[in-house]
Formats: sequence, structure tokens, C-alpha cells
Amino acid sequence: MSRRFFWLLPLLLLLPVPLLLNPYQQYVLNTALLYVPVGIGFNLVVGNLGLLAFSNVAYFGLGAYTSGVLMAQLGLPWWLTVVPAALAGGIGGAIASIPALRGVRLFYLAIMTLAFGELMRWTYIRWEALTGGSMGMAVPTATLFGWSLDSDLRRFYVFLPLVVLIVAITDRLLRSRFGRAFLAIKDNEIAAAAMGVPTDRYIVLAFAWGGAVVGVGGAMFAISVGHLTPVSFDLTELIRQFAIIMVGGLASLTGAIIGAAIITAAPQVFISFPGFEELVFGLLIVLVILFLPRGIASLLARLHPAFVERYYRD
Amino acid sequence: MTDAPLLCVRDVTVRFGGLVAVGGVSFDLHAGEICALIGPNGAGKTTLFNAVSGNVVADGGSIRFRGEEIAGLTPHEISARGARRTFQNGGLFSELTALENVLVGLHAQVGSGFFGLLFGRRSAAAESSATARARELLSLMGIASIADHKAGALSGGQQRMVEIVRAIATDPPLLLLDEPAVGLAPAARQQLTGVIRDLARSRNIGILLIEHAIELVMSVADRVIVLNDGHKVADAPPEQVRADRAVLEAYLGHA
Repeated sequence: MSRRFFWLLPLLLLLPVPLLLNPYQQYVLNTALLYVPVGIGFNLVVGNLGLLAFSNVAYFGLGAYTSGVLMAQLGLPWWLTVVPAALAGGIGGAIASIPALRGVRLFYLAIMTLAFGELMRWTYIRWEALTGGSMGMAVPTATLFGWSLDSDLRRFYVFLPLVVLIVAITDRLLRSRFGRAFLAIKDNEIAAAAMGVPTDRYIVLAFAWGGAVVGVGGAMFAISVGHLTPVSFDLTELIRQFAIIMVGGLASLTGAIIGAAIITAAPQVFISFPGFEELVFGLLIVLVILFLPRGIASLLARLHPAFVERYYRD
Repeated sequence: MTDAPLLCVRDVTVRFGGLVAVGGVSFDLHAGEICALIGPNGAGKTTLFNAVSGNVVADGGSIRFRGEEIAGLTPHEISARGARRTFQNGGLFSELTALENVLVGLHAQVGSGFFGLLFGRRSAAAESSATARARELLSLMGIASIADHKAGALSGGQQRMVEIVRAIATDPPLLLLDEPAVGLAPAARQQLTGVIRDLARSRNIGILLIEHAIELVMSVADRVIVLNDGHKVADAPPEQVRADRAVLEAYLGHA
């Protein structure tokens, strides 16, 4: 119980924060928030399950376009598109897990999943009727039960509970026999199967849940930026998302949260130097690998026992 | 020993390309019986063993476990039916603690499915009763003190014990031990011998054991099956096998 209260405190402290910020800072805060589920989903597959799947941006785009297209074409309110976006991301994840089920591992899996992400980007460019092609599409203003989410301040108060819900559910998943089975598969797949873990089913589950969570992040992204273009789902985006889990800490929920905050905030320092973004990500990854190979989450775990996650090892 | 065999292997053949690794081997194993599988390197011991545990698919023959055909089932399905194995080298999850290793062993018994987990309360109860059971098993083996140590940091003897606890956590009727004594100091070997004997005698587990440590085989096995070139050349109590000419030939080459 004490652990739950420990997390309640920073959450309550976060509530009034956007009121103190200017609109641009509010936008940056929302971006950090939406990258939390994006990092969580990526980390679940790469960190916990230990499979080098680089199709995270595909689920992100699937979620974003599903939400955007449903709003623009069918006039659905945003909140009704969140579950379809999660489904689209989850199905994308399940599809991306197919090579892994056929025994594809390491660099081969990395390249195949990377190709899946690029294939999705090509689809956004070509399917102009729905996506507006490379010119992109405008995402209508989101509403929530008639309440217009037309400012970053308002979106923040919708994003925050959504992200908290995703963190809570994933935390529960990872603390159960499922989380233990993911780590067992990462450590020794053959032994895990010999212990009665249906490894194939669990690989699909991790990919699908990861994809669904990232898809929700995509739906948040769609209304946060208000305009979707295929460029937002390119390899630079993949590097950003990879930086989140590397800097934050692999196989760690706290790591995904910290990584999302740092990777969103860091480029703001260099806002007047375009093109510096990738450099900052690269530099951060190198520094963390050199000095904190288990990510910043491992530093926190050393500082306070409340940050020690049961499914996380350092 | 009961009359119906626990494990019934008939004419099992495994080929790797043109190589016949196991060529038509048959044997029975009864509950509470310790059966050692020996033979020179390349004789097909591990392949036969893997065919039983589902890690290798047999090209021919039948493997019946408690009357049910298991040839062709996946390793986790065979494990769920109660045939559990250990591995020759480092079968533990080295990043998990000893306790967590045993909990993975109990995986199928820790209740709820994915949606039950998200919405139910039962999973917490199942988790804590599994944890209690895992701790109890570790202390029965006298290794309760290392429950929260990472498996990768344990000594060879401790790792072997944790792996055995993990395998028997579900009370399986059949245990497959792949070279359990390899790399163990004499004292640890002695202890292991006692544990294996006790598992068969007091828990009535049928044990199939691959082992090169011949003195362990001779002291613990009820029966010894000798393989050579993928074929069974002997199947008898240890004292008879020791005197068998075919066995000597298998190990020493043809005179």
C-alpha cells in the first residue's frame, strides 16, 4: 500500500503544474505525457521480453491515423477513437510479432520490424484519400462529452488520467506471472517453455499489449499536434522513441516515464539550432550507456527503495 | 512399482538430415523408478531425452506418458502434463532470483488469465499462495536462505538444487534430469545423489537421468539403459550392465 501512496504524491503535485506554464511549455508537457505510453509499449517488447523489435513507430502511426481519420471522416469525438486506436496499434503489434514467432531473432528481427514501420509510412503517403498523403491531414478539434479540448491546458487534464491508467494496468501486468514470464523468456526461452510457459502466446501478448499502449499514445499525438504527416513517423522518430527507453532504463516502467520526460525536454534547450535534436538524442544515449548502462531508472532505484521495481533488474 | 508404465517409449527415431541420431529405441519407465541413460558422446542420449521433453520432434515411433501420446506436443504442453526437465548447463533464469525461478516453475498454477488479471482480485491471492509454496519447497531442500539471491550469482550446487526445485514445484510424476552432476564438487554430488533417491522413493517420481558420472549412476539408478550409435545396447540393473560386454565395447571400442 505504501508504494501506491508514494506515487500518489508526485501525481498530486503534477496536477496544478500546467497552470503555472505558458502555452508552449504546456504543449511540451503534453508531448512528454504522450511519450510515456509510447515508451512503455516499446520497453515491454525490447526491455522486458528482450526482443529487438523496431516497429514501435508503426503502432504509433497506426494509433494516430486511426484516431485522426475516424475524427475527420466519420466525425467521431476523440474519446470514441481512443479504443480503436489502441486496437489498431495492438493488431499492428500482433502482426509485427509474426517473424518472432517463426524464430527470427536479433538483427534479422530488427530489420524485418524496421521494414514494417517503413511500410506503414509508405501506406500513409499512398493512401491519400484517407491520410492526405505526404501533405498530411488536419485533425479536427477534439471534444470530450461536448467539452472542447482546444487548448494544451485542457488536453493535459485528459491525458494525465489516461496515462496514469496505462501505467497502472501495465504495472499490474508486469508484477504478475505475466511479467515474470516475459523476463524468463528474455533470459532463457527454452527453459521457460520447459517450465510450462506458452512462450509463443506470451510473445504475441507482449507485442499486442505494447502496440495497443503505443496506439493510445498515437491518438494523443494526433490531437496534440492537430496535423498528421507521414514525416512524423520516420526513422528519426524511431530514434527518439528508442532514446526514451535507452536513457530511461530498459525493462522499467519508471524508466519509460523518465525517458519520455528527458527526451522531450532536452531538445527544447537547443530549440534555436535546427537539426540538433538527433545530436542530443545520440549524445544522451552515449552518455547514459557509458555512465548508467541500466538507464536513469537504475540511479533512482539506488537512491530510494520505492523506485525498485520487482520486474526490473540491475 | 505399479504395473502400467508411466512413460512408454516405442521405436523412437530421430534423424538430423541424413544422420540417424536415435534409431528405434524403446523402453518403459515406472513411477518411483530411477532410470539412467548412459552411453558415449554422440550416442543419442540427449536427443532421445529431448524427444521425450518435446524439444526435438521424433520422426517415428510413439512416446506415451500416462497413457497419452505426447510425441509432437510442444515443450510447454508436455511440461503441463507433468513431465518436467532440467538442463545440462545453466537452465536457470540467471537474472531472476531463486524464488522467482521457482515461481516461473509454478507458472501454470498461478491462476488468472490476462483479463482476469486486469479486472480481478483473485490473482493476488494466487500469487501469494504460490510464493508461499515456492519458499516452502526451497526450505525443504535446505536452500531457503538463498531464495532472494539472483540465480546467476549462486554456486553450481545451489543452482542445480534450485533447478530441481523449480522442476518439481508442480509435483510432476516424471522428472528428466540432464547431467545433473556435471561440474559439481564431490560433496555437492553426494547431496544430489541423496536428493534424487529421495524424490523417487518418497515422492514416487519416475526419474530419467542422463549422466556421465558413472559412480553416481551405479549408486542411484534402479535400471541403466545404454545407448550406442542411436541404438539401445543394454537395459538392465546397474550391476548387470557393469559386466555387460556390449557396454564395454560401446565405451572402449571394438576389441
